[in-house]
Amino acid sequence: MWLLAAMAFVVAPHVLRLPEWVGVFFVLVVAWRAWIAWRAARTPPRWLVLALTLGAVVATFLAYGRIMGRDAGTTLLVLMAALKLLEMKTSREIELAIHLGFVLVMTNFLFSQTIPFGIYMLACVWLFVATLVGHQRGAGRTPTVRERLAPAGMLLLQAVPLMLVFFILFPRVQGPLWALPQDARAGLSGLSDSMTPGNISKLIQSEATAFRVQFDGEIPPYAVLYWRGPVLWIFDGRTWRVPEFSIAGSQEYSRAERPVRYAVTVEPHGKHWLFSLDVPGTLPRGAGIRHDLQLRSIRPVDSRIRYEMTSYLDYRYGEKLPSAFRGLALSFDERRNPKTVALGRRWAAEAASPVEVVNRALQFFNTQYTYTLEPPILASDDPYDEFLFETKRGFCEHYAGSFALLMRAAGIPARIVTGYQGGEVNPLNRELLVRQADAHAWVEVWLEGRGWVRLDPTSVVAPNRIDAGINAALGPIGVIPSLIAADRLRVLAALRFAWEALDSQWNQWVLGYNVERQRQFLSSLGLEIANWKDLALWLTIATLAVGGFVGLGLVLRDLPVRRDPAVLAWNRYCAKLAAAGLARAPHEGPLDFLARVESLRPAIAPEAREITERYVRARYGDGLSKRENRELLGLVRAFAPAGALRGRRAA
Amino acid sequence: MFADLRQSIADWIFRTRHPEAPPVTLVQRRIFILPTRQGYLFGLVLLVLLLASINYSLSLGFLLTFLLAAMGAVAMLHTWRNLAHLKLRPGRCDPVFAGDTVRFRVVIESPSRERFAVAIRRRGEPPAFVDVRAHEPAIASLAVPAPRRGRLACGRLEIFTRYPVGLFHAWSYFDFGLSAIVYPRPDPAAGLPPPQTLAGDDEGIPIAGDEDFALLRGYRPGDPPRQIAWKALARGDDLLTKEFQATASAELWLDWIDARAPDPEARLSVLAHWVIEVERLGQSYGLRLPGTAIAPGRGDAHRARCLEALALHGVEDGP
Repeated sequence: MWLLAAMAFVVAPHVLRLPEWVGVFFVLVVAWRAWIAWRAARTPPRWLVLALTLGAVVATFLAYGRIMGRDAGTTLLVLMAALKLLEMKTSREIELAIHLGFVLVMTNFLFSQTIPFGIYMLACVWLFVATLVGHQRGAGRTPTVRERLAPAGMLLLQAVPLMLVFFILFPRVQGPLWALPQDARAGLSGLSDSMTPGNISKLIQSEATAFRVQFDGEIPPYAVLYWRGPVLWIFDGRTWRVPEFSIAGSQEYSRAERPVRYAVTVEPHGKHWLFSLDVPGTLPRGAGIRHDLQLRSIRPVDSRIRYEMTSYLDYRYGEKLPSAFRGLALSFDERRNPKTVALGRRWAAEAASPVEVVNRALQFFNTQYTYTLEPPILASDDPYDEFLFETKRGFCEHYAGSFALLMRAAGIPARIVTGYQGGEVNPLNRELLVRQADAHAWVEVWLEGRGWVRLDPTSVVAPNRIDAGINAALGPIGVIPSLIAADRLRVLAALRFAWEALDSQWNQWVLGYNVERQRQFLSSLGLEIANWKDLALWLTIATLAVGGFVGLGLVLRDLPVRRDPAVLAWNRYCAKLAAAGLARAPHEGPLDFLARVESLRPAIAPEAREITERYVRARYGDGLSKRENRELLGLVRAFAPAGALRGRRAA
Repeated sequence: MFADLRQSIADWIFRTRHPEAPPVTLVQRRIFILPTRQGYLFGLVLLVLLLASINYSLSLGFLLTFLLAAMGAVAMLHTWRNLAHLKLRPGRCDPVFAGDTVRFRVVIESPSRERFAVAIRRRGEPPAFVDVRAHEPAIASLAVPAPRRGRLACGRLEIFTRYPVGLFHAWSYFDFGLSAIVYPRPDPAAGLPPPQTLAGDDEGIPIAGDEDFALLRGYRPGDPPRQIAWKALARGDDLLTKEFQATASAELWLDWIDARAPDPEARLSVLAHWVIEVERLGQSYGLRLPGTAIAPGRGDAHRARCLEALALHGVEDGP
């Protein structure tokens, strides 16, 4: 049965995402329904369906603790769809089930909106419409597969122009209209507002896109692409955190002449921060900057957003450090990580200047440490002691964390910056793609007279990491086997770049088409849209134009065929003869009429014969070409029975 | 509910319409279109989808919503097109006996494309669906029960379609003034007409083979096929009809007076049975009713004439 198949297709992706019991339930119910349809068995009694429905609601509530929200709501819808199939008998219920199917397609988009998935869902919609068509055909003989799919496909195809008009011009509202349920953005990955040894290395396993950058002009060298995210000040001996308070940033920094211009399209991560290079020159709309150069969006980044930025890579800032910040940047728990603290203090005592301490620390990391994605777990209460003096194998957060602690112990103000480093340039569209795998943590120390200076201890341990990216740093065993495998084969790499370029366009123009993009796009078309009323006006105009076009195309095809030119010519011929006193009787065929004309008016016989023969061939023979039709019309025009009569009389 | 509402509105708008001469072409302005209940529900679903798309900023959600909405709009056009320019003619409508089912037939012709699931219905009755191929007349046959004898008027018919997706109901009305003759139900218990009605002869009813062949005459429309001189036709002559001379003694009058029955309807039933039986025996017979008489004769045309007289006896014979 068509509906069962369509429903199974649309639910299949959900089954993989939702708890197993939902899938099992759905498959069982659909199998039961298929069996009923196949064996023409009886549908289950109403009370059983009702009981199952109640059971489904209760089970959903038990599983999620509620029945609303993305996951719970979807689960409930899937279960209801299954039960609806079960009790489906009347045509009304079938149509209802199809509508439910459309809603299920929508719920799928809550989970994924990639190109392949969109195509898959389009196929599902097609199946549903085909089911509707088949259902309407119902009364007669059962329609064939083609008779269902072809009209449904035609309908959808003819709907595409109007869909595009609406998509482009429908006034977009900045969602959400009401508070999103808690889990609306579940599964978003990204940086968090704290750093514990081990949490960034988890993120690094992910190939997911963090954001994309389109540079205006040349792409700066890889080694300076430090994308700043959350800045961590608070340290409790194990975890570094973003301070609770927030102070707006001052613009007190000196900077070089040339800014870098770029546009960032950031994937939703559910938090506030945005990413930028070093010192921002201009701020995007709806964003602010903190004193520690942390760029923050006013709304949480719940959907893909795009912003334009300028940054200065050559800068000095924070040359004056207020004492409150200084205190914060020096504080640590004396009782934790005693060995590390002692080491820092010893360096401070032995060195003449903070710069010397910094150099010594970098030297220290350079000699004895190994960069690895799978560091040993640090379980003790003094994790940095354990790392520095025992395991000596770590990842960027280990290096950044222990380095910052050493600096603080040595009396140098230090803080941790998390974010992303580097990215991958797609040669096709010159776009930099930054993945979660590029997540990074580094240190900023404050030096008298220089302000805050970026130091990356990881770069000392694994210079490749900064120069060429994570895959190079980890060598052949690699983090992301699929990516490396792809890189080995040129063709695959080219394909991957092409796909990513396409995906980027998809993200920017389809998925990221929001209020801002809409205005931008329309003004590039020359439409200045001041408010939604303009938009509604244009929408109406475009809808009428496009709809009218499609509609006329359909309606005109049906209008009665225009009369055959041969017939028009013939009628004119008859009218001329009638005017000359020789009217054709209604029952008279063309040849009979010709015979009469020939006998009564021999003078015009040759012309009459010519015209009649052509007409007969046009109507009863194999038809006339366009040229022959014109010739016939010319003959009829030249035909002058009255004149011929007069001429004969005159003679 | 919507169907009822639409029906009553339609009744109000189209309350006066006289029967039209066939053929009727469903031109643009004759066709009405409104969403079905399913269509309104679809609209509601679209609204839900739109709200969800806005709330969750789902671009593909917007695309889905707009695709479905545009599909609905296009479907409206298709539904309308499925009915437009159809040509309707009344079809054959055979008389039946009371208690049987009349089949009103409408011939539907499509001048252009193939049309699917076009339905004809009388008000409040189940529709008859038919697919109409291009240039190939299709016949929609409406079964209407005929409980009583007389003339069963078909009344105004609705032609409608919901193809392709059932979101819209396009319809039009037409009235050819179709009617069907409903014969009285024959009373099987009536037996044969009483012998005394045989005009002074005791021989009883002669059987078919005994009659004398009288002459051949030219075929007239309505002559029963079994009286056609097929052999003459085979020889190359024109269509001829064999005429039989019924003997005077075999002339039989089926009389209202003789049909003993408690009420006029039952009498008519008895007479109907007699007509059928006597015709089957090949006897020539006449029919006498209060106010009318049909001269003796034979054959299918005569039988039909007699039964029709019975059907319409005492019935206002208006269109």
